[in-house]
Amino acid sequence: MNPIPVILDCDPGVDDAIAFLLARQLPQLNVLAITSVAGNVGLEHTTYNALGLVEFLDWDVPVYQGASGPIFRKRVEASSVHGANGMAGFDLPHSRTTAAMPAWDAIHHIALQQQGELELIAIGPLTNLAMAFLKYADLPGLIKRIVIMGGATAAGNTTPAAEFNIYADPEAADIVFTSGVPVHMCGLDMTMKALMTPAELDQVGALGSKEAVFFRDVVQDIVGFMKRIGILGINMHDPAAVLYAADDSIFKAYPAGIRVETKGLITQGETVTDLFSDAKWQKNAFAVMDIDRDAFVMKVFELMKKY
Amino acid sequence: MTSRIPIILDGDPGHDDAIAWMLAKANDKLEILACTSVSGNQSIEKTSYNARRVMTLLGIDAPFAMGRERPLFGEPVHAGNIHGDTGLDGPALPEPAFEALPLSAVELMAKTITDSSEPVTIVATGPLTNVGALLILHPELKPKIAQISIMGGGLDHGNWTPAAEFNILVDPEAADVVFKSGLSLTMAGLDVTLKALVFPEDFERIRALGNPIATVVAEWLDFFYGFHRSIGYAGAPVHDAVAVAALVKPEILTIKEYFVQIETSGDFCRGATIADHYGFNGQQPNTHAVVGIDREGFIDLLAEAAAWYGKEQA
Repeated sequence: MNPIPVILDCDPGVDDAIAFLLARQLPQLNVLAITSVAGNVGLEHTTYNALGLVEFLDWDVPVYQGASGPIFRKRVEASSVHGANGMAGFDLPHSRTTAAMPAWDAIHHIALQQQGELELIAIGPLTNLAMAFLKYADLPGLIKRIVIMGGATAAGNTTPAAEFNIYADPEAADIVFTSGVPVHMCGLDMTMKALMTPAELDQVGALGSKEAVFFRDVVQDIVGFMKRIGILGINMHDPAAVLYAADDSIFKAYPAGIRVETKGLITQGETVTDLFSDAKWQKNAFAVMDIDRDAFVMKVFELMKKY
Repeated sequence: MTSRIPIILDGDPGHDDAIAWMLAKANDKLEILACTSVSGNQSIEKTSYNARRVMTLLGIDAPFAMGRERPLFGEPVHAGNIHGDTGLDGPALPEPAFEALPLSAVELMAKTITDSSEPVTIVATGPLTNVGALLILHPELKPKIAQISIMGGGLDHGNWTPAAEFNILVDPEAADVVFKSGLSLTMAGLDVTLKALVFPEDFERIRALGNPIATVVAEWLDFFYGFHRSIGYAGAPVHDAVAVAALVKPEILTIKEYFVQIETSGDFCRGATIADHYGFNGQQPNTHAVVGIDREGFIDLLAEAAAWYGKEQA
């Protein structure tokens, strides 16, 4: 089977970095471009980190810069989790520059080239994708599927109702959910189960390659943060979404109607999910609800052994 | 004999309200001080008429008053598709043997609580309009409210809309007052009530008891299940009875502590009960949320209650 042509839209971001490490080795994915967006930290950091990661991985893939903040709102960030530079203080120096086009033009340009086969994997706020849909009316017909890390059917992390990536740009997220392209939502329902324990992280580091050592070391601050809020290990939010995009066999997903609340007093950024209410919303999405955690960890090891 | 828990039954009967009241009347741990109706499953005229018919059928000898026509804000919403045109379709019921008092539901609640020597528990199985109004008008009575046992909401999802359960959706502002009240709240939401399924073989167990009340309960279940079967349920979710079970048989329930807030605005989330599921936000819990049930134990509770009416009349 031919690998799936994809664009990885991201805001690196510690768990984005792990997603890069896996995506580089996944035979099912042909990563044609990386697009950066403001999210976990500001755009200057996420773009720098994306460029640094592709250089670190000796990866021949162009990086396009995207939006510096949400469409309608003030920017929020998660530097308390990811560090001021988004990479837990790790510097990834590089000699690369971003490609000439803005992210949304690149998405459209590549979608045209791929003639309907392109899939988008978006693991940050959805601003770039929304900008692309706002600009190009033909885009929905050119994108086969969108896999996102974001949202939750029931409970948030940034607020009780909202997950960070959706909370950061709810209007953009709703534009994406209503675009007509099926959205596979890898939300907290699943990613909170995609936990790697401190011992497993050490085992990855013990593989010894510079990539494996980076994997172990870059997550340690978050492991400390998680421990303070009562969780032993780190939730592999973004890596799980990338693995889902490559091979969904260890996941459970259900057809769902999903819209984003943009106006509530306490629910802005909630991905309101209709699995079985009387309202019977149109099924525009799939809610990814479950993951075989042990199989996930095995796959992470398999991929990291390739370095 | 230990003293009974004094309660006010506030609901919008409704099949599952009626079964909740059947359970409350039969249980010797509870003493019903008053009943009040609320607009919800059907119009206030219909729920009030049903409340009086159910009280007459069950022999609940307590003062009764009607609630207001509409929620605190917004327009009334009804559930005629589930409970039928009367709001309590199915078996024939006796005509009410008494009239409503010339008081509002809120006034009767306030009077009942004021007159009670012990703190009173409110069992609210409809929209929270009356309870919310009571707390707005009579904050001084809060120390005399032992707890409020609510059927409403859902931590994970809604039913009437994807985000909101019917009772909370009908009057989110009233619910907001209740959840911000600081009072002891037990919330039997969809998380548990969709597990409180009564299966057709359970209807037969109740019907076989043979007393007139048991027969009516079985026929209510027949009717209530009709709608739910049409949308794929394996049984009738007797939502409201769980709010009574929480008072008389908590050992069959799984209860977790959550900080719960009510969304009163929004395009999609009005009426949602938002729980701080992961506890990342650090607020103190305000709600005892019922999330699980021993279904067999629940069926036993209902059947024993229905059997009590046979012994009563013997």
